[in-house]
Amino acid sequence: MNYRKLVTIVEETAAEGGRAVNPAARVAVVAVAIQNPWAGQGFVEDLSEGIDAVASDLGALLAPRVLEALDAPLEAYGKAAIVGLEGEVEHGSALIHTLKFGNHFRDAAQATTLLPAVEKRGPAGVAFDIPLKHFTDATIRSHHQTVEIRLADAPHPSEIVIALAGAAQGRPQQRLAPISTEQ
Amino acid sequence: MDLSARSTLHAPGDIAEGIGLRKIISAVEEVARPGEAPIKRASATAVIANPWVGTDTATDLAPETERIAPVLAKLLTDRLLHSLGGAAHVEAFGKAAVVGTRGEIEHAGALIHTAYFGNLVREALEGTSILCFADSRADAGESLRVPLWHKSTAATRSHYQTLDVSLADAPHPGEIAVIAAASTGPRPFSRLGDRTTDRPVTSEILKELTL
Repeated sequence: MNYRKLVTIVEETAAEGGRAVNPAARVAVVAVAIQNPWAGQGFVEDLSEGIDAVASDLGALLAPRVLEALDAPLEAYGKAAIVGLEGEVEHGSALIHTLKFGNHFRDAAQATTLLPAVEKRGPAGVAFDIPLKHFTDATIRSHHQTVEIRLADAPHPSEIVIALAGAAQGRPQQRLAPISTEQ
Repeated sequence: MDLSARSTLHAPGDIAEGIGLRKIISAVEEVARPGEAPIKRASATAVIANPWVGTDTATDLAPETERIAPVLAKLLTDRLLHSLGGAAHVEAFGKAAVVGTRGEIEHAGALIHTAYFGNLVREALEGTSILCFADSRADAGESLRVPLWHKSTAATRSHYQTLDVSLADAPHPGEIAVIAAASTGPRPFSRLGDRTTDRPVTSEILKELTL
């Protein structure tokens, strides 16, 4: 898997709302900047060739790294595709919205749900928020959460940033009634 | 509390409460190089309550500095060493602090510019140079460029480099973000020579320019 830059980020939250969070809440993100497989080709009607060439390798590269960085059992997860300014959002979606990509993370984390995602186009350094949901039941409200990421110097106009995120718990100080209480 | 032989990587709950720590962000970037191992550049950022909010400019900053700065140095260097694989791999380092808008720049400086922080970072990363730095006051959500240079020979030109650190949701107005950063190598493809290879250059060269 050729990439220009790979970034691993771990957030530990030890207090929220003025109260301790103990053990600290952990969220890990691994993001990689790669060349857009469709850069410079104009409008490509069929994206399957580029997907086949890249998506599975991306999932295999990122998934074990997220779990290693998290260094705790995963309970929530999400993904991101941030396309540089010369590409289409569809290019980013193509790389993350296939089972070829997501199954690496699902299998490694023994997860069963679909990965929530952010897809956007932006300049290098653009901030993006990765949504995360529970890894076996996407209706578990305590685990709906978001992590904000910004990568210096990526994506370049002809690049795509692909990221996976994992959390070891729900929101710090989560205290909303479960969805079942409203049904 | 004896932190000298204890890893703070997991469950630093007692430490967090002791210094008003809200969160720590660790980031490491690897830039691929053909035929060589990637250079890794890491930052660790601790976001704590500013212990001096509401105090005036005559307040002695030393007591809180001496209490908090060594703990920050330990928390941050534990994470840098974890990210980079140990002090033997660290070649360059730097530091920074960003104070929220209810504090003084001097509050940011207090936590990084004394021996209570710098000496401990230097010792943990096995360096001898003065640590280069950035400090500022800012709203939450900005990014800061942290300068790095060689950990034992600061004037080594190949190792002058800067690491961008993104500060999502920090510092709040009453907080301070304190950063330590390190790199396992020089700039990619560094080729600017060095002081030892430069010819003497003064403003005399302005007299013989070729444009």
